[in-house]
Amino acid sequence: MMRIGFRLALAYRSNIVMTCVTLVAQVFLLRMIWTSVYGARPAAAGLTLDALLAYLTLANLQSFATHTVVSRTIHERIRSGTVFFDLARPPGYLRQMAAFQVGNTFGGLLLLAPVVPVVLLVGSITAPVNGPGYVVTLVLGYVIAVQLALLISLIGFWTMEIGAISLLYRLVSQFFAGTMVPLAFFPGFLGVLAGALPFQYLGYVPAAIYVGHITDVAGPIMVELAWIAGLWGLLALTWSRAHRRVVIQGG
Amino acid sequence: MAELARSLRLYVLLQRASARSAMQYRLNSVIGVLSGAVWQGAGFAFIWVVMHTFPSLAGWGLAEIAFLYGLRLTAHALAMIPMMSVHDIQWVVRNGEFDRFLLRPLNPLVQLMGNRVGLGQVGDLLVGVTLLAVAGGNVPVDWDAWLVAYCVVAVAGGALIEAAFFLGLSSLSLRMVDTTALRVFVDDVFSRFGSYPMKVFGGVTEWLLTFVLPVAFVAYVPSSVVLGKLDASWALAAPLLGVVLIAVAYLVWRRQLDHYQSAGH
Repeated sequence: MMRIGFRLALAYRSNIVMTCVTLVAQVFLLRMIWTSVYGARPAAAGLTLDALLAYLTLANLQSFATHTVVSRTIHERIRSGTVFFDLARPPGYLRQMAAFQVGNTFGGLLLLAPVVPVVLLVGSITAPVNGPGYVVTLVLGYVIAVQLALLISLIGFWTMEIGAISLLYRLVSQFFAGTMVPLAFFPGFLGVLAGALPFQYLGYVPAAIYVGHITDVAGPIMVELAWIAGLWGLLALTWSRAHRRVVIQGG
Repeated sequence: MAELARSLRLYVLLQRASARSAMQYRLNSVIGVLSGAVWQGAGFAFIWVVMHTFPSLAGWGLAEIAFLYGLRLTAHALAMIPMMSVHDIQWVVRNGEFDRFLLRPLNPLVQLMGNRVGLGQVGDLLVGVTLLAVAGGNVPVDWDAWLVAYCVVAVAGGALIEAAFFLGLSSLSLRMVDTTALRVFVDDVFSRFGSYPMKVFGGVTEWLLTFVLPVAFVAYVPSSVVLGKLDASWALAAPLLGVVLIAVAYLVWRRQLDHYQSAGH
């Protein structure tokens, strides 16, 4: 399954090239806008402009690298009825799909690698303040991202149609991950909401640890582990109900 | 002239038929409109959050940026509602469906435009017009009938500029040159950079976005004129450019059409 996901990522090369162009344009736009609003200010919300630009570059790279396709794949397979073959295989369904996503991410990373220097040049990067903390929180954040994607796709077993839900999910998760604006800038209620949601671990938390905006690493790691455990339970529960409702279309 | 009126009437008929077929999947249609609106709403939420901390972006306040954003979005929606189905041209040519368009007694471009209805763009239009109306009330401008009329002309001009690029690039598909990726890229540049004051980008980028890909003329130049940031002599530059570009794009389309060879079915 991992290998399938990996190959699939490589098969749609032109797609990835377009994505990379978009990524570079996005990072450039953010850099220009933030440089412009900072003007002569040395720092805002505890972030210097240099740290902020490094943060934005990283957060956008992360968001592209950890982008999940598993929902779309599951959706297509439910619609065409080919989900039957996935269910017929001996390994558990969720495990297969998770493996597929991980392989796909590796494939994506391989294609993203040559673009990274360009992105860093267009954006900006500083030396990591806390490298190991960054890697650990990012990997755990990725696990949460895959779990959430799986959870969203399981809805398809009830509704048969998740196109709109997954689009909405992508928008909401990207916004609350702080890919374009660090959570530190979110005003009032929006900030509280973003702090309570798990999406911050997909972008804000690792990148903020990297640039030294968040110094406490143990706290976020504990919360991430708790989210992972909680989502694990929720996934198992949802799946045990979902697989009893499987409808094989055209079967 | 009579020919044009006839084409327009038939276009409306075709679009109505496409809309009817889209409404067969009512929920999907509603979701299509909504997701367009949510997408654009999220784009504006970014600006709103940033400007909560920083009151000015290159000398523009929140209301002014909102006005610029609304103008760009409305122009974009008006360009893409008819152009959306031209996006399919690659497939229409490959399936040989385009051959049928050539046999019918109506301009093939009009048939192509009427092929599908752009529902996501209706969502864009809703958000764009709402932003324009709300921001228009909050910017320090003395509105009179002339200025409102100018806004309408400016939106039309901006729509023509975007539509011209889209049509020109799409027409290359008639000769089997796939420009889908390029089209997506150009559209992306218009959307991404068009909603901000060009001064933000500065230097080479500002120049490129003004004179190479005239993103600046879609909304930045007209809104600067309306908001009194740019001399009124620039007012008609954008609509005029729109008319010139769409005429050129149509000529390109005609030329490519002359070279059309069927996919062979």
